[in-house]
Amino acid sequence: MKTIFHLDMDAFFVSVERILDPSLEGKPVIVGGDPHGRGVVAACSYEARQFGLHSAMPIRTAFRLCPQGVYLHGHGKEYGRFSRAVKRHLERYFPIVQQASIDEFYLDFTGCEKIYGEPVQFAQKLQSEIWEKFHLPGSIGIASNKTIAKIASDFKKPRGITFVPIGKEKEFLAPLPIERIPGIGKATFPMLRSRGFKVVGDLANASPDYLSALLGKFGTDLWEKANGKGNDILVTGHERKSISKETTFDKDLVSKPKIEAILFELVSEACQLLRNENWQTSTVSIKLRYTDFVTLTRAKTIEPTDDDKVVFEIVKDLFEKSFNRRVGIRLIGIHLSKLNHFTEQCILFEDNGTIRKRMLRAVMKIRDKYGFESIRIGKTEID
Amino acid sequence: MKNLYIGTAGWSYKDWMPNLYPKAQSANFDWLEYYSKYFNVVEVNSSYYTYISPKIVDGWIKKVEAKDDFLFTIKLHQDFTHKRKYSQEQIKAVKANLNQLSTTERFGGLLIQFPYSFVLNKENANHVKDLVDIFFEYDKFIEVRHKSWFIQRFFNFVESNKSSLCTIDQPVIGEAIEFKPVKVGDNLYIRFHGRNTKAWKASLGNFGKAQTYEQQNERYNYLYSPGELVEIEQKIKEVLDTVKKVFIIMNNHPKGNAVANALELIHFLNERIKVNVPETTLKAYPRLSKISLN
Repeated sequence: MKTIFHLDMDAFFVSVERILDPSLEGKPVIVGGDPHGRGVVAACSYEARQFGLHSAMPIRTAFRLCPQGVYLHGHGKEYGRFSRAVKRHLERYFPIVQQASIDEFYLDFTGCEKIYGEPVQFAQKLQSEIWEKFHLPGSIGIASNKTIAKIASDFKKPRGITFVPIGKEKEFLAPLPIERIPGIGKATFPMLRSRGFKVVGDLANASPDYLSALLGKFGTDLWEKANGKGNDILVTGHERKSISKETTFDKDLVSKPKIEAILFELVSEACQLLRNENWQTSTVSIKLRYTDFVTLTRAKTIEPTDDDKVVFEIVKDLFEKSFNRRVGIRLIGIHLSKLNHFTEQCILFEDNGTIRKRMLRAVMKIRDKYGFESIRIGKTEID
Repeated sequence: MKNLYIGTAGWSYKDWMPNLYPKAQSANFDWLEYYSKYFNVVEVNSSYYTYISPKIVDGWIKKVEAKDDFLFTIKLHQDFTHKRKYSQEQIKAVKANLNQLSTTERFGGLLIQFPYSFVLNKENANHVKDLVDIFFEYDKFIEVRHKSWFIQRFFNFVESNKSSLCTIDQPVIGEAIEFKPVKVGDNLYIRFHGRNTKAWKASLGNFGKAQTYEQQNERYNYLYSPGELVEIEQKIKEVLDTVKKVFIIMNNHPKGNAVANALELIHFLNERIKVNVPETTLKAYPRLSKISLN
């Protein structure tokens, strides 16, 4: 049996904002942007939660509930810096740290008792170190697998430490509401509730076949989780599976040339990322969101490429086919997936693209040296 | 920590009023004396432009008398590093300053800074060697900015000549290296130029053109964020135990940003002790209330 820690930073974005501006201490703080805008709450302080606010809530709703709150756009880069700093601190103790998100980390404590002592005591030490060093509060869950450790870190927040001893997993989970299990969201929650499942114990006592019939593989996983089983292997490093670039407009756009110019910009950035990693894409998708929130995505499979021109032609084509309503666009994005490594082999049988490939690699070198803006591939002027 | 020297590049900036120096100053108010209440080192940059009279150096020594561990580091005159034209007289003048500071135990080291265009080749290597020979008896910090110098042979040369390699932090553009302190020599000398990428890029195009004071200094106009400082702290700590002395010089001077960041680094690198923050600075940088004694 393993001993897994799950460290979850408490209201992480808000904690960082309070480092930048200590006057936010004790106030209801909401990170997510303009309270009259279209965003959602990315994070909110515990003071704000008392008004019924929670993350992912539309920011306008939040503002209605808590007009006296301090609404911030957030400092994404700064969150990343603190996240890296916390990770580096954890790596002083653990050879393997799995970063689950910007503010969540799994640590494998198995066999560490001899060096670091009892898990709960060590968790306290870690928690207070992170507070003293970074002024960041966090909660820690300790259990025999990642799922339960995650549920445990959420059990007492903020600044909680919850230890689920081996063999007590089912007992710990049984009285918790089903939505505490990661993966039970907007779709599955009402479905399970309507069938009488209220607490995790109800799921544990159900027949796995029934859950499987109801939810497929997720149902089987759910049954296992409810019975205290789960993955205990930490994963580090991840290969990029796709590249996305999107942008939301302050004002909805209707001008086709303007949108195309923006698409061209997004394609340039995405293709540069592809070439930096020596990748090629073979699936190009676009995403459009109209003013009325109607969203559509269109994709096309192509020969592997990293060429701005090729990708843009596809994107333009997909866009022209999709932009068929007389409604403004509020968001536009592109997505490159099915990535594979670019090798010289790929170009052996191709003649027309070879020169462009060399040209693009030269562009990449120039950008490496002088920055992305130093050289541009012409399309349309951008305001 | 005893051997940690954290301060700024220069202390005489008008735009440090009111963010460090108060606006209302009595007749005998002295900037250096005031500065030395809060910091234990300053890098002298005026020595890069002029040969400083011994009288002036005497004055400095007197002004910091109350601060036992205060050190000056001296930037070598551009005649030596950039123009490569120097006489025996000029060598004497520089050495006179260094000796004055050494005998009064106020000498931190000599900064020999070369420009980005100074690449490793035989002629340039000989030039470095000549300067190192001239100032052999003094602790030296060598700042080279071009990648070509980052080879073991040069490191060995630095180490065996009473010198240390200077680490810099600046916007990562072109062949510039991301901040990473390396131990080459007994001491660590780190200069922070800010990360104002936009102004830095613009300044490359303005080289040699007539500019106002503000234009000239815009590329240093940058305030490091707490997250950046925490990451910087972690990187410095990786090599801290391997060196004798650590000098950290903030050169992001416009408006006194260097002052705020230097105080923050004093806090971070000294196991988060509370720091004596001037009232003026606290007012200008409210986030320093978290680290301030008062």
